[in-house]
This record gives sequence, C-alpha cells and structure tokens, in this order.
Amino acid sequence: MSVLPLTVAALVAGGTYLLLQAGLVRIIFGITLLSHGANLMLLAAGVSAWRTEPLGAEGSSRSADPLPMAFVLTAIVITLAVTVLMLALARIGGDDDTYQMPDTGEDHHG
Amino acid sequence: MTGAVLPFFVAVPLAAAALAVVLPPRLARAVLVATPLLGTAGAVALLVEHATNPVLVHQVGAFVPGIAIPLVSDTLSAVMLTVTGLTSAVCVAYAVLGGDARLRFFPSLALMLTAGVNGALLTGDLFNLFVFVEVMLLPSYALIAMTGTWRRLGIGRLFVVVNLLTSTIFLVGVGLVYGVAGSVNMAVLADADHDDPRFVLAVAVVLLALTVKAGVVPMHGWLPRAYPATSGTVMALFSALHTKVAIYAIYRIHSVVLDGAPDWTLLALGLALLTMLVGSYGSLGEKVIRRSLSWQMVAGVGYILLGLAIGSRLGLAAGLFYMVHHILVMGSLLLAAAAIEQVYRSGQFVRISGLMRREPLLATGTALALLSLVGFPPSSGFFGKVGLVRAAADLDTPERVVVLAVVVVASIGALVAMLRLWREVFWGPSLEEMPSRGSTDTDPIDVPPGTRAPRRLVLPSTVLLVASLGLFLVPGPAWDLAVDAADGLLDVSRYAAEVTGR
Repeated sequence: MSVLPLTVAALVAGGTYLLLQAGLVRIIFGITLLSHGANLMLLAAGVSAWRTEPLGAEGSSRSADPLPMAFVLTAIVITLAVTVLMLALARIGGDDDTYQMPDTGEDHHG
Repeated sequence: MTGAVLPFFVAVPLAAAALAVVLPPRLARAVLVATPLLGTAGAVALLVEHATNPVLVHQVGAFVPGIAIPLVSDTLSAVMLTVTGLTSAVCVAYAVLGGDARLRFFPSLALMLTAGVNGALLTGDLFNLFVFVEVMLLPSYALIAMTGTWRRLGIGRLFVVVNLLTSTIFLVGVGLVYGVAGSVNMAVLADADHDDPRFVLAVAVVLLALTVKAGVVPMHGWLPRAYPATSGTVMALFSALHTKVAIYAIYRIHSVVLDGAPDWTLLALGLALLTMLVGSYGSLGEKVIRRSLSWQMVAGVGYILLGLAIGSRLGLAAGLFYMVHHILVMGSLLLAAAAIEQVYRSGQFVRISGLMRREPLLATGTALALLSLVGFPPSSGFFGKVGLVRAAADLDTPERVVVLAVVVVASIGALVAMLRLWREVFWGPSLEEMPSRGSTDTDPIDVPPGTRAPRRLVLPSTVLLVASLGLFLVPGPAWDLAVDAADGLLDVSRYAAEVTGR
C-alpha cells in the first residue's frame, strides 16, 4: 500500500514547485496537482486506512467508506470551478504578473 | 422556535441570489439590501430564543444525529450572525447608494457571499465548514476582480491563489481528522481522544489553514496587499466577513473539538501578540487611507485571538466583544474612506488635505471611529481593550507582564498611525488653498469649488459608528451576550449533547 503515499508525495512536491513559479498558468497547474494530492489523501483516510474495495467478497462491514468519496467529489467540483476562474483571470490580466504593467492610464498609487 | 429555521439562514440568501440574476436591476438592488436585513432580524430572534434555550440544532435531511450534517446555533453563532448581518446590510446599502451595486451580478454575488457566511457560522461539521467557506470565497473572487483599481486583476490572482492553497490545506486537515477520528462532526469530535497526538496534529492542520485565512502574522502578508486594491465597499464587506469567519471557526474548533487544548497556549499567545504589534505599526509605512486601515485589520485579528489565547471566561468574552467592536468600527472607517475616495477621487495622503472643515459630519465620525480603533472612550473599543487587559492581568503565569506591555505598546503604535492618517487627511489647508493642483499624480487634487460628500454616502458609515457608540453607552447587554457565548465555548457538554442527540 505504499503507492498511495508516494503518489501524494510526488503530486505535492510537483505542485509546490509549480506554485513557486512566476506566471499564473504554471501556478494553476501547481494548484491542480496539489488538490489532486489532497484528494488522494482524503481517499486514503477512509478507503485504504480501514477498509477494502467497495464491492468485495468481505461483506458490507468491510466495504469501502463512501463518505471520503463524497468529500473528494465535492472538493473536485470546487477546485474545477476555481480553476476555470483562475484561467479566466490569467487570460484577462495578460502577463502582468511576470513583468508588465497594463497601461490603462490609472495611477500607480491608488 | 425549533432548529428547523436554521437552514433558512442559508437558503434564503441563496434563493435571493438566484432571484437577483433575473430581476430587473432596481428590484435586484432592493433584494440585495432586504435579505441581509431579514437575516439580521432572524439572528436577533435566535438571540432572544437562546436566552432560554442555549442550543438549537437541525440535522439536515433528518439523518441520524451524529451522522447527519448538523446546523447548530448557540449564542456565539447568533451574535456573529447579527453583527455580520447588520454590517453587510449597511455595506450593500452603501454599494447601492454609491453605485457599486449597479455592476452586473453584484447583487447576486454579494448575496451568495452572505449565504456562505451564514452557513459557515451555523454549521457543526468540519467538511461542511470547508464547503461554506468556499461558497463564501467564490463570489469574493469575482467581487475583488470587478471593483477597484486596475491592480485588482493582479491582486485578484494573489487573493485566489492564497485562498485556494489554504483551502487545500484545510481539506487535507479535514481528511486527516476523518482518518484519525472517523468523524468530522464537531460534537462527535468533542468526545475524541484528545491525548492522541495524531488527532491533535490533524486538527492543528485545520487551524493552520484558518490562521492564514484570518491573516495572523506571519501569514498576514496577503491581506494588506489584497484588500485595498478592491473598492472601499467590497473591502468593508470583506473586512466584516472573511477574516472574522475564520476567527470564529478558530474559536469554535479550538473550544469544541480540542476542548481549549492548553499545550500550545504559549504559541497562540505569541502569535496574537506579534499580530497586534505588526498590524499596529504596519500602518505607519502606508500613504493611502485604506492601506493604512488594512494593517489595523491585521492588528484587530491579534486582539481577538488574544482573548482565545488567554482562554479564561473573561478572556474569551473580551475577545468576542472585541470582535463585535472591530467589525462595526472597521466597517464604519472603511465606508468613510470609500466615501472620501468616491467624492475626491483619491485616497492618497498627498492628494487630499483639510477635509475637517469641508466635511464636518464625516470628520467627526472618522475621529470617533479612529479613537475607537485605538481603544479610547467614548467607543466600543474602550471596553474591548479593558476586558482584554483585565483578562490578561488575571493570568497567573509570568507571561502576563509581556501581554500587558505588548497591549500598551501596540496601542501606542495604532494611536500614532491613526493620528498620522487624521493629520494627513483631515488637517492642513483646504484643497482650494493648495498652491499647485491636479497637474501631476502626486499633487493635491483639483476639486470643483463646493465639492462635498453627499449625505447618502456618509450615512452608512455613521450608522455603524452609532452602533459602536451604543456599545460604549450601554455595554451591559452586549457584554452579557459575550459572556454567554464564552460560557458556551467553555462548557461544550450541552452543545455536544444536543447535536449528537444523547
């Protein structure tokens, strides 16, 4: 069962690396990786920690816990929505997060 | 009254948000103001009910208690619902009067924000708290990106990334709690094994995420950068809701789930004191009204958490009283700043001057609110600080000297910073007497003669200030409520019994 923690570790490491880059698109990729890591961790909390697969031969008392799956489903939906929003922000703001300031005539202090 | 009313605090604003999309703009704005007022009225009814019946529970979907997601109201939630409801009603009223509410979808987004806040204040389930915090944040991402200066787009990115990252950490924490304790229902967790280091670590991850959202030093950097970039109205709304919901959740989780775990009291105390100091003195480096105020928001977080770190009955009550005071006063100041920016087109210290004679009502209100922020009478801040100082003096550990000293030193910092704001904006020659006007970015602005802030823009700020003054003149009822709420946090047996149905 060590494949799950290793996957989480790889996702979180990659996500952290991307999050530290300049440029919103890379940051979005980083956030996506991190949230995948978090989702796998949630699954590990309920499925692999205590129980077996959902439709196994061992009866309902050992079959997988549906609650973490519901958690993950909710989290995926939320992350999807925010990712779409961030991609929109990345598009409308251009590359002002790396070096350029948009020229709109507004002053730089307010 | 039964617990069945609780879902309406979430459902009504959500339905109103949907309705506001399809209604004609004028009606949508009416719904925008009416819904938080309705919520406030409902919260006051809850407060009255809690005088006899301290805990109201609704098990959503009528599942078995302990399994169902509970919505729980006690004195603390009801107080928070009342104050956040009132403040958001005033803020959206300003948005209607000042023009922000004319933006497409502003009413819907603000109402969705209200629904998320009400849900987060009422839920008794950690994962549900995560969901409601997201419901609160998603409209905020849009609100921060649609009002304010051009910086809002870049700042919106910062705000989204910080909040999404902390939400992910929060989610991991919830997963860990579930993995260790097998439940995310706070009342069930109250009976969990508090000596299990894995459990405490899992809850600590949740609390870590919440301290970032609350803006506790050293995780405060995003707050004074993000908030001033949006418009004054939206900043006032966020200041009353976002950080305060996070602090409420810290209070709730720390008390219910961990039973006020004493192991990290020293750390909590250190963070609270650091937050007070950094926030109070941070204002000194700023040259724009709302940026200067945003540091005072950070300082306020420190004072509120100081009550939790002290942890006594008096400390918790004083912290909660301070929270109510801070929401009202900060809202008043930010709406006053929004009015100044709207009329004079700038919030920069170098560009405005001598507003005292020009805007007597606004100046009087701001002066009183600034005094309140520092903690002088006649204002609610005075009793907030007196309570915290008394609670700190009652500590029987050597830290109390440090706590008392830091409260005084931080207050002096806030006093100097706020005097500076006052001197730059309200004192000095009037704008017409300035030699060079309007030629460069740093010159005083060139206003048409006779420019005054219309009364409708000053009124919302005044309403919140009057509430704050009311807390000074008649502090008894509010203080009693704060003590009731603190009692609910200290003795969670009633809360746990009602929620789990035992």
